[in-house]
Amino acid sequence: MITGRLYDIQGFSVQDGPGIRTTAFLKGCPLRCPWCHSPESQSFAKQLSWMNMRCLGLDACSSRCMKACPKDAIEVGPKKMDIASGTEVTTIHVKRDLCDDCGKCADACYAEALTLCGKDWTPEDLIARLMQDKNFYDNSGGGVTISGGEPLCQIDFVVEVLKGLKANGVHTALDTTGFAPWEALERTLPYVDLYLYDLKHMDNEKHKTVVAVPNKIIHENALKLAEAGKALQIRIPVIPRFNEDEENIRATAEFCVKLGDSVKMVQLLPYHNLGVMKYLRISDGKPVEAVPPSDEKMEQLRELMASYGLNVTIH
Amino acid sequence: MYQNAPISERVQKIRRMYRDKKPKIDISRYRLVTEFYMDNPQLPGILKRAKNLRNLFENMPTPVRDHELIVGHPGEEFRSSAVYPEHSFFWFLDEIDIFPTRDVDPYDLDPEDKEYILKTGEFWLKNSTCAAIDEVFPDEYYRDILGNGVLNFGPKNNSGSPIGHYCGNFWKVVDKGLGSILEEVRAKKADMLEKGLQGDEGQKFQFYRAVETVTEGIIIYTKRYAAECERQAAVCTDPVRKAELLQMADSLNWIMEKPCRTYHEALQACFLYQLGLLLDSQPHGISYGRLDQYVGKYAERDIAEGRLTKEQAQELTDMFILKVAEINKVWSTGATKSGPGYTSGQLITLGGVDRDGNDATNVATYMIMQSSARLKLHNPPLALRLHEGTPEELWEAGIETTKQVGGVPCFEWDDIAMESLMRRGITLEDARNYCLIGCVEPCVCGCDFANSGGDGNNAYTILPAALWCAINNGTNPMAFGRGGNQEVKLELKPTGPQCGYLYEMTSMQQVLDAYKTEMDFFTKWQVSMINCYEYLYAMRNPLPLLSATMDGCLESGKDVLWGGAKYNGAGNSSIGHGTVADSLNIIDQVCFRDKIASTRELYDALINDWEGYEDLRQYIVGRCSHFGNNDPEADKYLKFVADTYSEGITRGISPRGCHWSAGCWPVTLNVVMGMFTAATPDGRHAGAPLSDGISPVQSMDKSGPFATINSILKFDQANYANGTLCNMKFHPTALQGAEGDKKLRAVMETYFKGGGMELQINVVSANMLREAQEKPKDYEDLVVRVAGFSAYFVEVYKEAQDDLIRRTEMSV
Repeated sequence: MITGRLYDIQGFSVQDGPGIRTTAFLKGCPLRCPWCHSPESQSFAKQLSWMNMRCLGLDACSSRCMKACPKDAIEVGPKKMDIASGTEVTTIHVKRDLCDDCGKCADACYAEALTLCGKDWTPEDLIARLMQDKNFYDNSGGGVTISGGEPLCQIDFVVEVLKGLKANGVHTALDTTGFAPWEALERTLPYVDLYLYDLKHMDNEKHKTVVAVPNKIIHENALKLAEAGKALQIRIPVIPRFNEDEENIRATAEFCVKLGDSVKMVQLLPYHNLGVMKYLRISDGKPVEAVPPSDEKMEQLRELMASYGLNVTIH
Repeated sequence: MYQNAPISERVQKIRRMYRDKKPKIDISRYRLVTEFYMDNPQLPGILKRAKNLRNLFENMPTPVRDHELIVGHPGEEFRSSAVYPEHSFFWFLDEIDIFPTRDVDPYDLDPEDKEYILKTGEFWLKNSTCAAIDEVFPDEYYRDILGNGVLNFGPKNNSGSPIGHYCGNFWKVVDKGLGSILEEVRAKKADMLEKGLQGDEGQKFQFYRAVETVTEGIIIYTKRYAAECERQAAVCTDPVRKAELLQMADSLNWIMEKPCRTYHEALQACFLYQLGLLLDSQPHGISYGRLDQYVGKYAERDIAEGRLTKEQAQELTDMFILKVAEINKVWSTGATKSGPGYTSGQLITLGGVDRDGNDATNVATYMIMQSSARLKLHNPPLALRLHEGTPEELWEAGIETTKQVGGVPCFEWDDIAMESLMRRGITLEDARNYCLIGCVEPCVCGCDFANSGGDGNNAYTILPAALWCAINNGTNPMAFGRGGNQEVKLELKPTGPQCGYLYEMTSMQQVLDAYKTEMDFFTKWQVSMINCYEYLYAMRNPLPLLSATMDGCLESGKDVLWGGAKYNGAGNSSIGHGTVADSLNIIDQVCFRDKIASTRELYDALINDWEGYEDLRQYIVGRCSHFGNNDPEADKYLKFVADTYSEGITRGISPRGCHWSAGCWPVTLNVVMGMFTAATPDGRHAGAPLSDGISPVQSMDKSGPFATINSILKFDQANYANGTLCNMKFHPTALQGAEGDKKLRAVMETYFKGGGMELQINVVSANMLREAQEKPKDYEDLVVRVAGFSAYFVEVYKEAQDDLIRRTEMSV
């Protein structure tokens, strides 16, 4: 039986396509964007996640996680202020070198501070779950967005889910990096109403160095989607010192123009550091942080791209 | 795109005054009423009330302030509060020293005024209606069921508030003038005397006499304001102001008696009529109803015929709304906690349809909303009626206003509200003419005496306490009595039907049966108590000015309290749907379905407030399913809880012959009542807040807003003719710009079309609220909706602030 691995499902998604939507986030991605705000989306494996905010403290739960861990991978960690009780409590630290993500501590953690990120779904179950929100899609002109990670990496599962959604009359969007064999993307053509398509950098070397994969196949796939007459919403994460220079933005705009009428909208997504805390949930390290681009800078870029006759929005 | 109109300099100034002025207590009304009552012990019920009101109309101060175009205030000073001793006064005397310094809604009191009150106050301890209430309540309540916690009636000094929660008939004042009523009532009297007072006409005659007395009175009151304007005009050196004063005097000499001629007059007439209702009783859920419908056509005509520019019309509207905001009421400190933020609760309803079902939006609808948004006023609260034909522009205005003011207006869906009214026996045409009164209670405007607030203090049924009686052989383990302002610890004993203990129960059905038995028992008692209270009020405190105008009363010769109105209602509210739904679901899961703990273990855990059972508590909170996540197993108990209460209370019949109505609007009493409720099976600790409105337990709806809404929609809200309340909070980030407005609208429509009645939207973030706690000065204008009305967040007391923050956190 086919299953797919998700790391989250979010209702009331307001920025992932038209209307209000529910977005299913698939786990695993071949790219390694240093600014990624969902680090848990990168690995295909299930990962132990620890949320400091939810931890009740070792005294409150009688150290259930420590007792459950067969690898002694959980040790006494930093103290924190518990808002509810107003007292200081002792939290934990996961020794990542010992942890094998078996999830036994997560089973023991009722407060859901420790969770195993990644849940396997059958297409039928996921479709049923997504259909629960149908009344919201219908009233808002919304639908479902399949996102990731890179959903095309789980193509068999994705095609089944999309098929099911279309059979139920749901508007579908696929949020993709475009980094997949055309054969995979091609299979989605009959079932996707809108592609949310990322363009991170036009220069192949830079692309390869920074996000770990070349951009050639991404560009080719975009052209093929356009040729197939599919609707595209181009998404450009605006990352300081990486792709925000005029040369790259102009090159991106020119590429969008080449894609023609397929491009319904270009979204400029300013870098933000809200995801930084998420790294600490699954690892000991934080990524390099940058200063988010200013509103003025974003507006400049918007105007620059719009001067190519494109429909450009920020966010 | 919706835009705020500019605010005139004059309005800016009044608004600043309003925000800067610390309110004081004005004893003009107190002095007049006290002297009148002391001098007239011989007068019986309705005549005493009528002549007392007449005396107020003839002798209350008639302040006309330099900045005003619309006049009227129940006292000398700006933003002052009158005192209403006839209903209950012991609490006022108890708290008289702390009013100026208490942390929520303080009021100044001049030393000589305080001295007068202390000198005379004792009179009211025996002469207020509240002093007689314990005489009419059944002895059996005090003997057998005191301390049950489901009902609030305590050992003494119950029911400190008068009958409130009603809406007058403004059309008669604005379109006809009360001169027409005087003619009618004088003719009736003459006719009766000619035929002789037959049968019960001795009583009817007193009613008509009372109506004549107060109707003449309010016309006199209006003309006294005219005289004050003339007096000021005579000595005014500023020609512009002088002209204004003379025009105001001309209007005040005309209106009230005769039909209004202009928008300005319509607003002024509405204000003084409402002020008359407030003077007769007190601000206690007395609502404006469909203000835009009373005054809109006058505004449209004045603008069309060039008498007013749009800017002038807006300025008048702003000044009217600021006048309503200026009205204050000193509440007891306890009551202030449930309705904080200097509010007099005069709810205004906008929008909706006319009697033929056509959209009723007019220019006043938008102007009133503009006043609220631009002036950032939580008071008066606004309700916006929405329906399939609501114009785009009004949707946008409503959503933009709620984004700017936070929770103002609240939104009501016509289909469900009207359906609930029709289940009360109201015709479709009349149901279309509904407004919201008090907090969120649907009521037909001008012909329906819905008494939706019971006796005020005890209009609530606390469901989690009934659950406790059900699983503890009829005994509430935190038995207390709220005697007036004091909480008294009571002896533990069975106060409800003895259905056994949880540890004796062997099936879920037994638990459910026990809960239903308790609920049927306590809803019956709720009805019994309030019906006795109504008996007392019908005798002692009829409402002659309201009855003079309310459709049906003149025809039947009966005061509204005697059942004279065309339609009658009696309402109640419940608290803790979510808490009980989750608790039942948890008992089922933990003890019967999954057998995680025995009924004995769970019972012991609850009795010991989870002490020694923390693991079990954490399991319940973290691992069990909870209502609010669109899980059918969990949500079926919401329907059970909602239906058990509404069926029980709706069985009741009021003294005015109608059935009672169910409601669910806790104000912030879910926090206060939580303090007196023992630990509940959903993992809640003793003393923690109960669930809010019809929403899931705080932080237990973990599956996002769609799931929350779909869960809430699983009971039939049209069975709640006394209104439901659903709070929803959004991060500002989720709703940016015009696109955000559309998306919020889609969420709202999904809720309404799925059977939702009312929504209150707060667009705030938890961090913003936390920062507001720390730096209240920077957040002076942040308004949050805490039930049927809104308050400035910084003026809400700490526990309620914390509760709001917790609830906001969940949406992150």
